[in-house]
Amino acid sequence: MTTWTLDVEAPLGRQATVRRWRLGNGLRLLTSIDRGAPIVSYQTWFGVGSRHEQPGKTGMAHLFEHLMFNQTETLGPGEFDRVVERTGGESNAATWVDWTYYRLSLPARDLALGVRLEAERMTRLVLDPTTVEAERDVVTNERRERVEDDVDGWLDEQLMALAFEHHGYRWPTIGWMADIRGLALDEIRAFYRTWYAPNNACLVVVGDIDEPQLLDLVAKAYGDIPPAVLPVIAPDTEPPQTHERVLRAPKPIATDRVLIGYKAPGQAHADWPVLELVATLLAGSPSSRLHRLLVVEKELASSVDAQLTPFRDPSLFRLAITVARGHRAEASLAAIDQALAELASAPPSPAELNKAKSLVETDFWTSLTDADGKAEAIGHHEVALGDFRGVTALAAALAAVTAEDVVRVARTYLGRSTRSVVIAEPDPDGDPGEDSEESDDGDEALGDDSEVSA
Amino acid sequence: MTALAGPRGSRLHVEPSGDAPLVWIDIAITGGAALDPIGIEGLHRHAALLARRGAGLRNRAAFDDALDGLGAALEISVGRDSVVLSGLALTRNLDALVELAADVLAQPRFDQDEHERLLRETPQVLDEVRDDDSALATRWFDYRCAPGHPYGRTALGTESSLARITREDAAALWRAEAVCDNLVLGIAGDVDVARAMAIAARLTERLPATGAPPPLALTREPAPPGRRLVVVDKAERTQAQLRFGHLGPRWGDPDTAALLVVEAAFGGMFSSRLMQEIRVKRGWSYGAGCAIRRSRGPHWIEMWMATAIDVAGPATALTLDLYADLAAKGVTADELDFARAYLVGAMPFHLATARQRMQLAVRDETFGLPVGFTAGLPGQLGTLTVEDVAGACRRNLRPDDVVTVAVTTAEVAAEGLAAAGAGPITVVAHDAY
Repeated sequence: MTTWTLDVEAPLGRQATVRRWRLGNGLRLLTSIDRGAPIVSYQTWFGVGSRHEQPGKTGMAHLFEHLMFNQTETLGPGEFDRVVERTGGESNAATWVDWTYYRLSLPARDLALGVRLEAERMTRLVLDPTTVEAERDVVTNERRERVEDDVDGWLDEQLMALAFEHHGYRWPTIGWMADIRGLALDEIRAFYRTWYAPNNACLVVVGDIDEPQLLDLVAKAYGDIPPAVLPVIAPDTEPPQTHERVLRAPKPIATDRVLIGYKAPGQAHADWPVLELVATLLAGSPSSRLHRLLVVEKELASSVDAQLTPFRDPSLFRLAITVARGHRAEASLAAIDQALAELASAPPSPAELNKAKSLVETDFWTSLTDADGKAEAIGHHEVALGDFRGVTALAAALAAVTAEDVVRVARTYLGRSTRSVVIAEPDPDGDPGEDSEESDDGDEALGDDSEVSA
Repeated sequence: MTALAGPRGSRLHVEPSGDAPLVWIDIAITGGAALDPIGIEGLHRHAALLARRGAGLRNRAAFDDALDGLGAALEISVGRDSVVLSGLALTRNLDALVELAADVLAQPRFDQDEHERLLRETPQVLDEVRDDDSALATRWFDYRCAPGHPYGRTALGTESSLARITREDAAALWRAEAVCDNLVLGIAGDVDVARAMAIAARLTERLPATGAPPPLALTREPAPPGRRLVVVDKAERTQAQLRFGHLGPRWGDPDTAALLVVEAAFGGMFSSRLMQEIRVKRGWSYGAGCAIRRSRGPHWIEMWMATAIDVAGPATALTLDLYADLAAKGVTADELDFARAYLVGAMPFHLATARQRMQLAVRDETFGLPVGFTAGLPGQLGTLTVEDVAGACRRNLRPDDVVTVAVTTAEVAAEGLAAAGAGPITVVAHDAY
């Protein structure tokens, strides 16, 4: 299993080339040489994220983001971080709905160390009770900081829980608190054996590398790791949404916060680039339509942002609004309805369309200016969508969007009947509410003070 | 990196790179929020944001249309020591961005309606800070760490200080500080040195050559002695956002290299003492760290963490004990060796891109430091001994004068915090400042 096959070679950006290699055990290795600095970004992407969890066991994928930095069969507790930091490098990880990835940023001279460390923890992690309990405490504190005590984190997880009834996107990547506390050691070990395998992994190595040396190192370190039998994932479909859903809850905040999610296609869909451009056109710059309408002209909001979540399956086109002092959420929602109706009825001018295209072009190049950024773009497209060449294809698709495309997708996706709205309102008395208590099934963190309508 | 005497008394740093068709321009106007008049905190921020809202023949809407039409950005950041205009453009649109930036520097309109609108907007930014526990903890820590110190003044302002800002004061401040010999320019990306020089000339040609007010005299004044604890009371918290620290040395002090080791060993790495004791051994916080604030004058040595509310007291007590031990004993030989290896190896990551190199050079220059000061710090570490580091700890760490700020729900957390040995407790409403 130690023979490489060069699968694909394609350009990325102005000067870079990406090569995809495959090993006999299914491991993919994507390389891109960047000699701008004597450093390497070594990323290991696994095709497992929170959507692959089961209800009641949420937070499992994210827990590994912590556990993977602990003991292995040859590395003692804490040794992983120490050997990385002794080089001057750093390690980190991220988990989202479709993937988990581990990042090592190392001096180029320490590439062999990175290969050894990542190969080691792919299959030889030690999962003992002491380690798991310590990391469980850390994760509960992370959740308190990012969700319980953070209104934006709370809005985010409530929106997904409201918008999705069936799909695994409905629970938060960090997991519900009760689930995090309840994950059992045997379940954790089973999750590791199931998903952490070379045929579910993709290495992305960008930087000042000697490619033949890298291929040799990786083949020796990973080549004997057997592939796993990966679960067959049934298509995770979501029933069509036919009515607007609204949830309100009091929070200790100064003004209303609103998060809206319109049902949108997955990132591989042909309409996704059009909606990405629509997000820029609506709220991607100081002169964008919603910023100018809500923040500057009507002064209904102090900020408005638009984001299209880059998920594999259909997800959400999101608008986040911080309502201005003296106003309520309803006025902003009405103004948004008006702006979206205008977008669906008349095409943007060539100047406005070109403006949005220039802004996304700048964003595209900015995302590729360092080794980590390149590796992240490559890894996401390869693991979430199946082909790293999507990075360049997306840029081309954005440049090809027409004004008629904009009108069509606005009509198709940005209607009220397929949107979900979460509103956090100032708590008039500041008394502790019950809005973070979980329901009996531990699935949706709506409390007694929350109000849901449909 | 090319450091040049820029046109008309300005200073210029150029870092060419052909990796992408992008150019970054940083224009640092030295001065910054530490120079805000007492009682008119927020004036520098107000002036800078207002300057960006319409310049030359373009009002705010026309300016935004022109800039966005290029796919470009021109953002304002207001620090204690400088106001920075950060431009970004595709190479093909660079000249047009430069024209807009030059207008902001030389011909801001300071329209009355935008002045009034900004005065209505800024209190809402205060609301957003108060809604964000981490930002709120930092705001209160800055306020209470060393009362009277210029770096304790809020760059954002307060409701009362904002009410004192006039359009005329903002315009006068801008005209006084946006002068050539008060500018540090940085240009990185898809340009060569000759084009960068031409850009610098265009940015400065309509500005006065000299006339900026003298830099603020920033001394290391003694803060009130003794530990103090400020509980910032906010409802419904499950955690305490904690900040600890005191006034420390300036970045560039002779002890800077030794303190870089202290920062790394105590709270700058995952392997550092704070992370190991607070997170790894006890699981009390997702993160825990410490830093010496990088500024032109003496600034804070600061530690931070966010613990569950029931362990806020024990975490505070442990942090104060660890800090006292550090001050008394310094670091071990193993810690020095480890921190030195980490810091030397880490520098290439801080200098990896043209933009990073340019920004570091501009920052050093605005701090009044020699070219390459920060990039050269790892080179000073080789001869450091544990005795050197211990001496720097004794001279600069003051564990008996630590100010602790906790953003939390007072009725739940105050008793535990009061028992932590953090000094006399003061409870304040979260929106009182």
